[in-house]
Amino acid sequence: MIRLQNIEKVYRTDTIETLALNSISLDVAKGEFLSIMGPSGCGKSTLLNIMGLLDAPSRGSIKIADKATENLNDKQLAQFRNKTLGFIFQSYHLINDLQVLDNVELPLLYRDTTAKERKMLATEALEKVGLANRVKHFPTQLSGGQRQRVAIARAIVGRPDIILADEPTGNLDSAMGNEIMDILINLNRNEGTTIVMVTHDENMAHKTHRLVRLFDGSQVQ
Amino acid sequence: MFKHLFKLIWNKKKQNFLLMTEMLVSFMVFFAVFTLMVYYYDNYKKPMGFKYQDVWVININNAYQTKNTDSLDLYYETLKKTIKALPQVKELSFVSGNTPFAQQINNGGLTFKGKHINGVNNFTAEDSYKDALQVEVLEGRWFNKQDAVTKYRSVIIDADLKEATFGKGQAVGKFLGDYDDKNKMKVVGVIQTIKRNGDYVKPGPGIYYRADTGSFRWLNKILIRVAPGADAAFEGKLYKTMAGYMKNSNIEIEHLSNKLKDTNYFAVIPMIILSIVSCFLIINVALGLFGVLWYNINKRKGEIGLRRAIGATGNSVSSQLVMESMILATLSLIIGSFFAIQFPLLSVFDLQAHIYIAGMLLSILFVYLLVLVCSLYPGRQAAAIYPAVALHEE
Repeated sequence: MIRLQNIEKVYRTDTIETLALNSISLDVAKGEFLSIMGPSGCGKSTLLNIMGLLDAPSRGSIKIADKATENLNDKQLAQFRNKTLGFIFQSYHLINDLQVLDNVELPLLYRDTTAKERKMLATEALEKVGLANRVKHFPTQLSGGQRQRVAIARAIVGRPDIILADEPTGNLDSAMGNEIMDILINLNRNEGTTIVMVTHDENMAHKTHRLVRLFDGSQVQ
Repeated sequence: MFKHLFKLIWNKKKQNFLLMTEMLVSFMVFFAVFTLMVYYYDNYKKPMGFKYQDVWVININNAYQTKNTDSLDLYYETLKKTIKALPQVKELSFVSGNTPFAQQINNGGLTFKGKHINGVNNFTAEDSYKDALQVEVLEGRWFNKQDAVTKYRSVIIDADLKEATFGKGQAVGKFLGDYDDKNKMKVVGVIQTIKRNGDYVKPGPGIYYRADTGSFRWLNKILIRVAPGADAAFEGKLYKTMAGYMKNSNIEIEHLSNKLKDTNYFAVIPMIILSIVSCFLIINVALGLFGVLWYNINKRKGEIGLRRAIGATGNSVSSQLVMESMILATLSLIIGSFFAIQFPLLSVFDLQAHIYIAGMLLSILFVYLLVLVCSLYPGRQAAAIYPAVALHEE
């Protein structure tokens, strides 16, 4: 489903050159639930951003769903992210000025859908994460776990093949973290969604199919 | 997308309130400026109604005092002949003090078929007035000697008064004044309205009365048309001729072309002041908008990053910010237009409705243009933000 070959990422300033990722090659199979672990600053989020086409590698190639992504322009990249990928972030990235339902509908705004379809799909996604009764709430009126569930609903509303989760349980206590993890496991099992998750939590990582460890930008496991 | 943006703006109404107020106030000031500009332009494009070039105004005080009207008449007829004998003088006419471009006014009301018309300028002029000023007669004729012996007093009205009384119909041969009024006046001619207040200010309707022999007691101005090229030497000669005849009189000669320049200058001063104020306001609004949008981009980097991550292109992020500004402008303009439309509805300042409407449309266009220009660059900056960086900064 995802194929990374010899990915390198170098950040350059006037005086310093930092190698964030060093020759990473990784295959993620369709329907796989993969976790990436490593100490802070080892390049986990950078790798996830590159997989999510939010950042471009300095060297190497990325194939997602058998499609090479190097030569895609801004519009094609945007469409690809919209239809194939779903993102979950540690800090939720919800828009506080929009109600829960509107937040979940967001990815569908960049597709050719009617308001009725958007509402139906968003309500369906919220039902899957158990928040159908919170549609009119604003994110600031929700707990951290509920916010992350809204973020998951937003990630799955467009029915993407792949979900990229950047420390989805990082801001939550263990009970809420487990709830979120259960939702992701169910998504993977029941819907066959491929999930790549960055985490610091060994327990969470061991619940996934496979674990990849990074250290100083290199893959060590 | 429009509904989504409207919802976003509505939910942030408190944050947007000040910006909207700024846009609203700007609109009202621009409305005042553009209305004034349209009003000036509207007057400017109208014909002058006469040829002011080579026309001089002689201000006199009537030093000759006699109770005998015949003697008075003879005195001033002789003066007229003396002046007219000068080779450079083409025509002359004694007139009331409210000559074109003079500060002096003489106006009042006029009732016509129960309708009262305010601010009607009353002019008194001789038969030679038409040739002295080369007035454009639109209908009927100018005064002549027949008008001295008519049953009803002959009057000539200008195009503005004709429109206010008879509309588009014929005016010549019809009567002015209330039907109960024994002093009914018969219209014998309609002339083009003379722009007595200069190029930019509306002259208002005017009615002309024929000067009779007794009028010399109070007519204190003479309009003379001179040959093109009449110079200061001739002006001196004219002065000496008049001073020699009118002992102990004060005589002052002015040129209408110079008086027009002065009148126009004083008319444009409020316009210049308002324009300077608007320029500062434009800069203020532009900087305000620019600043707010710039601040928005920095404050909303996370949102911009998220939108990019879930499928927005750089261009759609940019156009979203521009559209948000335009929606805010539209909301302000709706409120502003509500207030602005009251001016023509309530006939404030007695301007024609089309002047207010044009001023309003120009202001709307200008506010949109200003908002568009100010939001384009911040919008482009937002489009250039790399999603991974924006999401990381959040």
